[in-house]
Amino acid sequence: MLTLAAFVLCMAAFSQTDDEPKKPSKASWAYESYRNKRTRPPYGLEKVLNLIKTAPSVDDEGSTVLPSKIYASLTLREKFTYNMVHGESYSQNCDGGIATVDEEKKIWALLPDPLGEEHWSGRQTDFFNQNHDTVVALMTESIERSHRVGVNYKNVIVEINATEMIPLLISTYNTDKKDHDILTLLMLLMLNNKYPPFMSSVSYTKLYANKESRWESYLSFNAANEALIIQRATDFYNGLPKKD
Amino acid sequence: MDFQRKISGLVIILLLSVLASPAQRFVAVPAGHYIIGKKGHLNNPRRKVWVDSFYIARFETTNREFAAFVAATSYVTDAERKHDALVFQPGLREFEWIEDSTAYWRYPNGISRGGIENKMDHPVTTISYHDVEEYCRWAGVRLPTLEEWEIACRAGSTTDYFFGKRDDSISRYANVWLGWDHTVADSSDGYMYTSPVGHFAPNPWGLYDMYGNVFEFCSGAVVQGEKETLVHARGGSWWCSARSCHFFNSFDIGRVHKRASFSNQGFRVAASSLPNRK
Repeated sequence: MLTLAAFVLCMAAFSQTDDEPKKPSKASWAYESYRNKRTRPPYGLEKVLNLIKTAPSVDDEGSTVLPSKIYASLTLREKFTYNMVHGESYSQNCDGGIATVDEEKKIWALLPDPLGEEHWSGRQTDFFNQNHDTVVALMTESIERSHRVGVNYKNVIVEINATEMIPLLISTYNTDKKDHDILTLLMLLMLNNKYPPFMSSVSYTKLYANKESRWESYLSFNAANEALIIQRATDFYNGLPKKD
Repeated sequence: MDFQRKISGLVIILLLSVLASPAQRFVAVPAGHYIIGKKGHLNNPRRKVWVDSFYIARFETTNREFAAFVAATSYVTDAERKHDALVFQPGLREFEWIEDSTAYWRYPNGISRGGIENKMDHPVTTISYHDVEEYCRWAGVRLPTLEEWEIACRAGSTTDYFFGKRDDSISRYANVWLGWDHTVADSSDGYMYTSPVGHFAPNPWGLYDMYGNVFEFCSGAVVQGEKETLVHARGGSWWCSARSCHFFNSFDIGRVHKRASFSNQGFRVAASSLPNRK
């Protein structure tokens, strides 16, 4: 009797494997790929890629840190390119890495990692912060030309708190309204600057102040949420002290 | 509280000495079909898998065990060679780690944050997957595969946690971050960083720290054709909180670079046959 009960229980458990999980659609896979695309700045790109390829690695798995002397010899623009396309350090991801069901219909709380399992080292983030105005100018030039904000650019904008780029981000978003991570970026800028109307909003509570994982939190993409984020970010920008 | 800690420390020492022989340090998992994964999970869907019998360590590999390996081989870890370990200190933004050129397994979060002198029974951290491969080669063991780890962790359960569907009692079983965020230190469970292995309650098969304490490297790929430098780890860590990395469970699979050394990254070993004591 016990054996029969165990058998029935076992069969019940195994039958769960017959349920096929809902899989991401082609559109979701395409969007996953789209939102992880990086922008490759043109300034000395060939030279920089060649240096990364030929620089001595400290191990046989391609972890390349450009030697200080070579790094110092790069022009400001070449350093910008090097730091934008190459991470000298690492990131750790608890999960993820593939498309999510209906990914294109979501506005996520957080941005994807800028460089996969690689990440910027201390000297690289120092470069972005210490050369704030130049980095903003070069990203602006690139975004105006391509109408794209790569995942690396977005993460740098958060890193250096480049709130002056909000109008450009909104106008770029409005060109095709496809890159919902720009909306995420606008919210992260409001979050990091503790903008009161955002901090008291339902969006903030849902994305950044609930008991669930931020990594998995999102808003549904719809016209109302889109308009609200853009309006709030515009108001936030208009209230910022203007630079001389 | 101090008295309680001393008593629990004593219990752990006694437990470790009792479990000194290989047969007692490992749990035998018989060959068979097992249910793993989570319904609807894209990286790890619910499915039935077959595994051959294997042995898996009751505890995460400790500083003491790693020290024995280094003493025997003079091995130099990636973090010692590259000075690129990533460490944590309270006050960092969510998901932010900082480089510390002084950090390696003897000083997991850098020299300024203390060494392991009094933490020899804590899991070894700030080591890379590559370092772990070298340790395993020396010790005559291997890492569990992604599937073996999950089978051992689930201990026959099919719920998200081996203790049920919800994580309400996670603190009984795991050293995780209980604070609201990482701006303020959280030692509410007695430990901000790692805890001694076996401090928290085991799963039904007698395996400790399957959730929390340190992310545990596993062998294998999630999808075909992954980059050779990409490796995986499971179970969450002391850093993981409900809000920022709610992945201390039986089904999620983390990823990291093969040469990266984080202070919340460790391992437990497995073997196809009962290993000799080393």
